Amino acid sequence: MTDTSGLLDPELDAMAEREAIAPAPTMWQTVRHEVFHRPATRIALAVVVIFVLVAAFAPWIAPYDPLQQSFLAINQTPNAAHWLGTDQFGRDVLSRLIHGSRNSLIFGLLSPVFAAVIGTTLGVSAGYFGGVVDRVVSRVIDMLMAFPELLLAILVAAALGGSFWNIVIVLTVAFTPGFARVARASTLAVKQEPYVEAAMAAGVRTPVIIARHVVPNILAPIVVLMTLWSASSIRIEATLSFLGIGTQPPNPSWGNIIRDGLNNMFATQWPILSGGLAITVVVLSISLIGDAVRDVLDPEAG
Amino acid sequence: MGGPLLEVRDLTVAFGPRDMPLRVVDGVSFALDRGETVGLVGESGSGKSMTALSVMRLVPEPPARIGGEIRLDGRDILGLPLREMPAIRGRDVGMIFQEPMSSLNPVMTIGDQIGEAISLHGRMTPAARRARVIELLTLVGMPDPEARIRAYPDQFSGGMRQRVMAAIAMACNPSLLIADEPTTALDVTIQAQVLELMTDIRERFNSAILLITHDLGVVAEICDRVIVMYSGRIVEEAPVEALFDAPRHPYTRGLLKSVPSFSETRERLYQIAGSVPPAGTIREGCPFRARCPLRMPRCAVEMPPMAAHGPGHRAACWATAEEAAA
Repeated sequence: MTDTSGLLDPELDAMAEREAIAPAPTMWQTVRHEVFHRPATRIALAVVVIFVLVAAFAPWIAPYDPLQQSFLAINQTPNAAHWLGTDQFGRDVLSRLIHGSRNSLIFGLLSPVFAAVIGTTLGVSAGYFGGVVDRVVSRVIDMLMAFPELLLAILVAAALGGSFWNIVIVLTVAFTPGFARVARASTLAVKQEPYVEAAMAAGVRTPVIIARHVVPNILAPIVVLMTLWSASSIRIEATLSFLGIGTQPPNPSWGNIIRDGLNNMFATQWPILSGGLAITVVVLSISLIGDAVRDVLDPEAG
Repeated sequence: MGGPLLEVRDLTVAFGPRDMPLRVVDGVSFALDRGETVGLVGESGSGKSMTALSVMRLVPEPPARIGGEIRLDGRDILGLPLREMPAIRGRDVGMIFQEPMSSLNPVMTIGDQIGEAISLHGRMTPAARRARVIELLTLVGMPDPEARIRAYPDQFSGGMRQRVMAAIAMACNPSLLIADEPTTALDVTIQAQVLELMTDIRERFNSAILLITHDLGVVAEICDRVIVMYSGRIVEEAPVEALFDAPRHPYTRGLLKSVPSFSETRERLYQIAGSVPPAGTIREGCPFRARCPLRMPRCAVEMPPMAAHGPGHRAACWATAEEAAA
């Protein structure tokens, strides 16, 4: 087939010629519009960016070593040397907060990503193949879903102990069922779409159909879920650390800064206040961004 | 190779329990030669789409059970393991679907989608693939193909998407093109363009087209032969002129009478009394007998065999078979 001239007569070609392609807003335009037309989202985005930068450059930004104790400077209120005061061991609260943001943010980002990958794989397999795979995966999801996330996290943390990777595993296990369920439901819907049948009719093999035609079409709710659960993940890590089964002292995390502060609440309130405020601000900001992401990706919600 | 390109013999698609199967396609036999356009006509639920999907082995088995024989270019399709089917789909048989609006993946550019179909059946460099995509788009009459390979399906109208579907179906020059109601969702001017496109493709590549439709106007326009299905069975098969001039099955007669025409003004369109029996509920006798004006006692007992009524013209009806014999 070397002749590439159009098969239709010129009249019909001319008719087709008049039909222009609709101009589509570029991806970037849509994102910019959705993110920046609401001031709350703009602020939230700025807050998250600042916190990420602080966490990334913690050793250079923090004025003191977060573990360095000093008898000469315990329970100080904010002053020029210690902007957020010091705790009962004379450690600088601001430095601990800055270093603690590393733990909190890493958990907040890592676990939802792992959970999304594992959950989506399980959910898509269950939805696409159905049958026994679907029944097994669905029952396991139902079982895990019966536990509240925090309770599940506490159970696993209590069994495994509180090392870094254990907490990541705990949170991942706690979040996976939600992703799997959303992925399964979306896959069931997408599987019915004519373009999946059309791809089969064109001779596309099953793994390629899943990777190129199913997964990209169910990604929107997964990404939204991932954003929203980053917030939950930070919150749960703080809770675990507060309960003493998360990040282990003396390493700082926002949760155990509050825990340490609680024992010393009548001497100085600043560790509790600043830790609590950091968690609140970040969780709120990520949630706001999650709402904006949902508006971008889901035309029906906007 | 001699013989017909596609030969379907005694095809049966059944669902449900083995002792009381629901046969949505029951004993269908027909053949298709190269360069031929055959219309498969029937109302919703007559089994015409199931017949076409069986040729592609796209009917989910289980729950469906497919019996009979389908030979494509002499090769036994139903005997092949399912994992060998992707190599045949697209390369030997291309398919155009009814819904151009939803038969394209919304998150892939049309260039990528056509390119995917091309690279399934032969490796080539990205540049060669791109050139082939543009060639195909030009072939289906897409203006300015270079610019449009980066467009997404939602930027196209229904007719344009159907052209993209046609380009995908033709990506590997299949010898058989199955079109499942390709014009149903389109408006009339676009229908004409798509039909003309299909005719041109057939002439250029000497491929066969199996056109599934319930639109007799479309059949009259581009088909060489027509197969009429009712309730999972073929009731009449004829060259297109013979069918329109002298239909031999009361169902075909009813269908032709119910096509609106400009030349005569009638208060009400003709309609065939009653409605289609649910698929597979009629297990013996003629499935059309309850609605048939020529009904006779024999119809309830025995399914009429296909009786010849002229060259290439067969119909399954006791009454008209007697007419012909008399």
